[in-house]
Amino acid sequence: MLGLYFAATSTADYVKHLDRQVHDVHCSFVPGAPVEEAENACRAALYSPYSAVFREQIWGGIPISLFAVGAFSFFIAFSLYLLMAGDQAPRRAHRFLGMAGLTPLAVSILMAVISATKLGAFCKTCTGIYVASGLLALGGVAGWVIDSRIPAGMPRQAPPPPGSPPGTPNTVVMDDGRPPRPLGTTTQMAVWLLALGLFALIPAGVYYQSVPSFAKQVTGCGKIVSAEDPKKSFLHINTGGREPVHMVVDPLCPTCKAFHQRLVSDGLLKKLDITLVLFPLDSECNWNLTTPLHPGACAVAKAVLCEEQRALQVLEWAYEEQDNLIAAAKGRDGNKAVLAAIGRRWQGLDACINDNKTTLRLDDHIRFATTNKLPVSTPQLFLGDTRLCDEDIDIGLPYALSKLAPSLVK
Amino acid sequence: MNPAVLAGGAVGALLLGASVFGVRSEVSQAKERLEKGLTLEEKPKVATADDAEVGYCTPKFKEVLARVLHACGLVGENRRGCAPQDIQRLANISDDEFNQLFTPLKERGGVIMFDDGSEKLDEDAQKLIEKLWVERKGARYFFIVARASKTGTRQFNQALSHKRANSVKFHVDEKFKEKELDKMVGTMWLGYDYAQLGEEYCKWNISRGGKPCDAQAINRTAFVSWVDCRL
Repeated sequence: MLGLYFAATSTADYVKHLDRQVHDVHCSFVPGAPVEEAENACRAALYSPYSAVFREQIWGGIPISLFAVGAFSFFIAFSLYLLMAGDQAPRRAHRFLGMAGLTPLAVSILMAVISATKLGAFCKTCTGIYVASGLLALGGVAGWVIDSRIPAGMPRQAPPPPGSPPGTPNTVVMDDGRPPRPLGTTTQMAVWLLALGLFALIPAGVYYQSVPSFAKQVTGCGKIVSAEDPKKSFLHINTGGREPVHMVVDPLCPTCKAFHQRLVSDGLLKKLDITLVLFPLDSECNWNLTTPLHPGACAVAKAVLCEEQRALQVLEWAYEEQDNLIAAAKGRDGNKAVLAAIGRRWQGLDACINDNKTTLRLDDHIRFATTNKLPVSTPQLFLGDTRLCDEDIDIGLPYALSKLAPSLVK
Repeated sequence: MNPAVLAGGAVGALLLGASVFGVRSEVSQAKERLEKGLTLEEKPKVATADDAEVGYCTPKFKEVLARVLHACGLVGENRRGCAPQDIQRLANISDDEFNQLFTPLKERGGVIMFDDGSEKLDEDAQKLIEKLWVERKGARYFFIVARASKTGTRQFNQALSHKRANSVKFHVDEKFKEKELDKMVGTMWLGYDYAQLGEEYCKWNISRGGKPCDAQAINRTAFVSWVDCRL
């Protein structure tokens, strides 16, 4: 039941996003805990390519938690049956639960490995499902083992109970006088397996049938008015890809980090020919803000500019160290601490970071947003000159790309 | 039928039905929000990036600057810069009112000082111009308002203040190679005809700090500043 709760919660969070809006996400071990607004591991998991299947065919794909909802429903019903049937349940029913109960655990182990190696964090709701899968497997196997240790005993003929009509045949009972336990048939096991499959697939099938069409919705959100860069201020990052894009990012923006991770894990980054525009959401250099949203971002953006040949590495370093850099910027030493952290990893950038030319260059990046009247937000991705809508930048990314840049998802 | 099978089957059917109903219901609600543009949770509106706009951009200030921009060549193709008679006519305000418009730029701008009868920039003047230029941030226009002291004829001082404005502009051009400089820099030269500065301006960010400054010296200058207004 725990597994069903967490799977249903995760599915509900996912389905809410079908309106192409950004929603808060549940992320707690405690059933019924309120949703969390902040970026969290559950949001990262939700937006990851491992959270759904058929993501290029339908917007957002089919959440894998939906399969878990069906499977856990089946196991609840089957466990209830075993509980009520007691000794009357066929021996093969315990064997089936022991074996089939391992499948959620196998999937959970796979997802946990992905969480650890690809996402770098464990989502609490997902962990709830992992734990529930473990308990189910443990219970199933334990039931199977315990049941198999009960000796079958020797059936014997017993006279009919007193008062039975004459001619009543003898009954067959075990040594202890109880009726013999049925073994069950392989056909029964096949039926249970089929039922498990149907339980897992039917909700997903219903979802597939009822999900709205997004073909007319995904057309982009505006165009670049001017991509001119006469002073060659923007950074050109060619990862070997051919799809020309403008990517507007803030090195200390958690959503940019998550977006970058999605591009990497989806194998999309290497297909892009990127013009990188830095748009730090830090009032130190960005006149569009009155207070810093990501303090220290201006200094880090300058470091990215100064290491032009290794701009992508510096950007990825900033994403990795994001929490530490923001904490340093908010600390007593403020920007000095950020510059010190940059200096420890990327030596010899001080002069460049403090150079007026770098300040002017960063101004040119920010002015790209001004010229094109962009929203003061990051990340923003332009496929050619078409801006990908914010709503399509998370779970709808593969579908949106399949519509706006088909070559990327081939 | 075995009651255990019945109970298990019933619970299974119930859970499956609830799952299907839940999925359909959630999807249907999301679909409705999508089609009707309804929002489930109010999110703050995201601002649009634009040129800087700060408190001193009063309607009057913007009106005067806009007239100057149009008439002095930043917007349009023909003219470059405004002579005193243009400024007086365009601004249509008194000398003091004109100077007061620039008072909020005390911290943002600087006063480039020149020798008597000269338009040459000394080293400190060049440094101050460069420092001010790189502090552009979100400003779109850079104004140079050059003046001259009352030594000499009106024509001479008008020409001298024109040269001083150009000196500043040429230095920016030479140092920063800005391709669209003409669209960014507005020059005004006032000679001694209009909006002379009082000694109190010696306390502003002047290029010859620590050196004598009087009513004559403070008018042998070019006031330069980025203007953080959307005009």
